[in-house]
Parts: sequence; C-alpha cells; structure tokens
Amino acid sequence: MSDAPRIPQAAPQPPNVLASAVRVFDLSLGQMLWSRRSVFLGVLLGGPVLLAAVLRVVDTLHASGFRVNGAAVGGSTIFGMMIWLLFIRFIVPVLGVFYGTSLIADEVEDKTITYLFTRPIPRRAVLLGKYFAYLVCTVLLVLPSVMLVFFLIVPTGGGSIGAAFPSLLADLGMLVVGLAAYGAVFALVGTRLKRPLVVGLVFAFGWEPAVLLFPGYLKRLTVAYYMQALVTHEMPQDSSMSMLLQIFHEVPSVAVSLLALAAIVGVTLWFAGRAVEQREYVLEQ
Amino acid sequence: MGGLVVADHLSKWYGQVIGLNDVSVTVPPGITGLLGPNGAGKSTFMKLITGQLKPSKGNIAVLGEPIWQNPGLYNRIGFCPEQDAFYERMTGREWVTALVRLNGVTETDAAAMATRAIEDVELTEAADKKIGAYSKGMRQRIKMAQALAHNPELLILDEPLSGMDPIARRKAIRMIKDWGRAGKSVIVSSHILHEIESMTANILLINQGRILAEGNVHQIRDLIDEHPHTVHIKADQTRALAREFLGHDDVLSLKFEEGAVVVQTGRPDAFYARLTDLAASGTHGAIHEVTSPDDNLQAVFQYLVKA
Repeated sequence: MSDAPRIPQAAPQPPNVLASAVRVFDLSLGQMLWSRRSVFLGVLLGGPVLLAAVLRVVDTLHASGFRVNGAAVGGSTIFGMMIWLLFIRFIVPVLGVFYGTSLIADEVEDKTITYLFTRPIPRRAVLLGKYFAYLVCTVLLVLPSVMLVFFLIVPTGGGSIGAAFPSLLADLGMLVVGLAAYGAVFALVGTRLKRPLVVGLVFAFGWEPAVLLFPGYLKRLTVAYYMQALVTHEMPQDSSMSMLLQIFHEVPSVAVSLLALAAIVGVTLWFAGRAVEQREYVLEQ
Repeated sequence: MGGLVVADHLSKWYGQVIGLNDVSVTVPPGITGLLGPNGAGKSTFMKLITGQLKPSKGNIAVLGEPIWQNPGLYNRIGFCPEQDAFYERMTGREWVTALVRLNGVTETDAAAMATRAIEDVELTEAADKKIGAYSKGMRQRIKMAQALAHNPELLILDEPLSGMDPIARRKAIRMIKDWGRAGKSVIVSSHILHEIESMTANILLINQGRILAEGNVHQIRDLIDEHPHTVHIKADQTRALAREFLGHDDVLSLKFEEGAVVVQTGRPDAFYARLTDLAASGTHGAIHEVTSPDDNLQAVFQYLVKA
C-alpha cells in the first residue's frame, strides 16, 4: 500500500500560520474567483464602466464638455466624482460586506469547512488565507473597472490622461487599502455575529454615513473617516448630506489614516481569527 | 492513558439537547466500529474525536493528546466526514492534492501522495474528472482518498459506505480491512451492523448519547438477526431483481418504489452476499445504490435499553 512519499507522522514543529494561510489562499482563490458572488459583483462593477461609456459617447456627440451646477468640469473632476460616489461610498463597502462576512460562512454553508479544520493548520490560518484570497479577488474585480472608467472619462472635456495618471495610481492604492480595511472589519462581523450580512450593511450604509455627519469622536469608529484622507479628489457636493459632510469635514493626515487603517486590519483580523479558533461549527445534517 | 481514543466522562450538549451523555470509553488499536441509529450520538462522538467540537464536560484524548485546538495532531489523523460536500469544480486529483498540501508538504510530494491515495481507492481513471460529475460511490471513495493520503496512524470514517453500490461497498470494505492489516487503526461509523461486522468484530454500540455496549459483535448480531432487516436497492431492472429475490426463503417481503425495490430479509448476511454477486454478474442490469434505513437497528436498541 505504501511506497508513495510519506510525511513524518508526528509534526515536529507547530504549524506556521502564514505558511498555512498561503496554502489555504491557493485552495480558495480559484473557488472565490469563479463563485456566483464574483460573477454577480463583476456585473455590478460593469455599471460604472457602462456609465462612463455613455458619458464618453455623449461627450463625443456634443463636444461641449460637462457642466455641474452651471460650471464646466473636466474629465478628471467627473472621474473624481465617480471614485467618491460609486467606488468609495458604495462598491468598496459592498464588496467588503458580501465577501468579508462570508469568508468562513460559505465553507460552513457548503459543509466543506470540515476538510480545512481537520488538517494540521491553525484555524486562524484558514481565515487569513481566505482573507488574502478575498483581497486578491476583489482587487481583480475593482481595478479593471476603475481603470476602464479612467480611460473612458478623463479625456472628456479636454482632460489629459498623462496628467491625471498619477492620481489614478493613488486611487488604485487607496481602493486596495479600502478593500483591505472593510474586508477585515466584515470578516470580524462574519465570525462573531449572527446575521452578519444585515449587520454589515447597517454598518456600511447606516452607521458610517450617519456618524460622519456629526462632529466629535464617533466618526473615528468608522473606516470611511480614515479613507477620506487618502482620496486625492475633492468631495462632491451632490446632495444635502454631502453639504453637511463638507461642513463637518475633518480629515486626518494621510499618515494617521494609513496607520489607523493598518491597525483596523490587524486588530479586526486578530479578533476574527480568535473567534474562529474558539468557535464550534455545528454543520446541519 | 492507553488506547487510541480515551473518553473520560465525556458529555456534549447543544443548548437543551444532549448529544453525548457521560461517556467513558477506551477505543483500542485496530478497527473499531461505531454502531448506532441516526441521532444516537455517533456524529457527535465523531466530531469530538476529530476536534470539531469541544466537550461540554469531561475529557477526550486521541493518540494520547487532547484534540481540541491541537492542529498538529491532524498529521496523525485522517478524517472522512459523512457529509457529501466538495469543491465541485475541482477534479478529484486537484482536490486531494490541495488538501494534502495543507499538511505542509511540497506541491510535488502532495501530487505524488494524492496519486497514490487515489490508486488505493481505485479511482485512478476518474481522477482528472470534475468531482461534480462523480457518482455517489466515487464521491465516497475520493473522500477516503483525502483522509488517507498523508499516511495517518488513525483513520476516522463517518458512514463511509453510505449510498455505495454493492461492488463499491465490497471494495471499500476490503480497503478498510487492508488498512487495518497494514497497521493503521480505523474507527468507522455506521448504522448497519452487517457493514461493521464485515470489517471488524470490535464494536461500540451507541444510542441516545450513551455507549450501550462495547466489545465483540457476535452477541449483538444474534439480536439483529431476530429482527427483519430492510434494504433499499436502486437498480435498472427492479422487477427482474424482485423475481430473483422471491426465490429465496430469507426474503420476507418486498415492495416497489420509484426506481427501487425495497426488501425485508431475515438473514441480511446471506442477502447482501447474494446481492453483491448479482451486481458483479450484471445478470439483472446495473444496481446503482444500496441503502438501509436505520430503523433496522432501532428495534434492537429498544430491546437492549429495556434489557
């Protein structure tokens, strides 16, 4: 029965979390990329591209540029508005909620978690590997969408791709940081709470916009507060809420924001990993 | 602490529901069958000895160590769970290789180990097909392959023969016995005494969260034989099979269900042996699946509890 390669029967070293996480990442990325969730959210991310294409066609046909509140705006400004309104306020939190809350829940629902939890790897490595897979998967979904929007929109109204390109790189970096932060927060929500999707949506679209409207310390308990500092575009004044946001616009420095977001990622992932280590997952028969 | 698995006043409850109630048992090396109807506590016991659940009370040691939050121990254990769950888009080979890699081996070694394990479960021809296209029997065997690929000392198999056709069942039983002969210890659960008996004489009888009996199977077997045993057979030619069955006096009754014939037999041993030969010969077409409802055991357990 056994002239195949055999590994030692007793593990000589405690399993390494990072090395194990990389292996879980390998196993999970393909599953995540081709999941129904990714197909659905990929279609959602086609929305901004479609909108940008329509704007480009309108601009080409009328060649008179765009006006906001009577003032002519260039392609870069419209691109900045789309980054704010579509990507930062909507798409990044949505991706974070839908993927982050389901990192472990999907495996539990599919009853495949048993295969991962009965291998010689720490349970937190399963969470970490799946989190890395989430990050790569969502970056692969978001970045092409942003780049397509950029190349379609920025040339309108006489804008220059070359001049705006550095800001695109900053935007891409900022979106990766946002995906990392929201994903980690919602991974914690997914491992700790019942109905994590509802809680996640309330956090992203209830709590965060609400507390940003008011002065004080509460806004520091949001991801959005720190994300604002990383956006190179001016905040659009598209609604009364945006006007209020402008009034109480208090933006931390880039360094403080990056540090805070790194701390959010580290702390939330640590607690999420701890929850996975300690929790019993009873699969329905 | 001797023994492969040592449970000491082990209890597990889910809220108000008791899954396992003050169980103290020592499982010896070799092949041990865990026998009990559905809901008896088998799955809870299996989940406790594989570290998926934490004991509510008492202690459990596997291979001399506590298993809860002890991932290093999984290098020495292979587990084949009951649930029919897979990454369906992967091929059998990809899936086993990916899982063996989690044991910390290189990609090359993992591929070689997966290949050998797939050979052991006689699934080489289907190894590169998507798991989603596998039959029930193939799915059971690929689950076994992932459990044994890393050469564990202890194999824990939860209802491994469930849903297999007679030929696959016979092969699986032979494999399990071979593993036992090769020096591995195996804990295998089932709700069918006949299955357990064909692998080992050493059983743990579990019902209502308690170990009712442990040791040699033969005394229990006599009790089983006093009760009719129901077998559900999915086949191409159910009527031809039924005609064949009716020619034997151990068949007490039979009825037809959609694509299946359901037989009550007074001598399960003889019946299963004949059924396997029939499946192998193909005289009455293909036999796809053989299952046995757990109410076969229920009457025996009720008798034991009263006794």
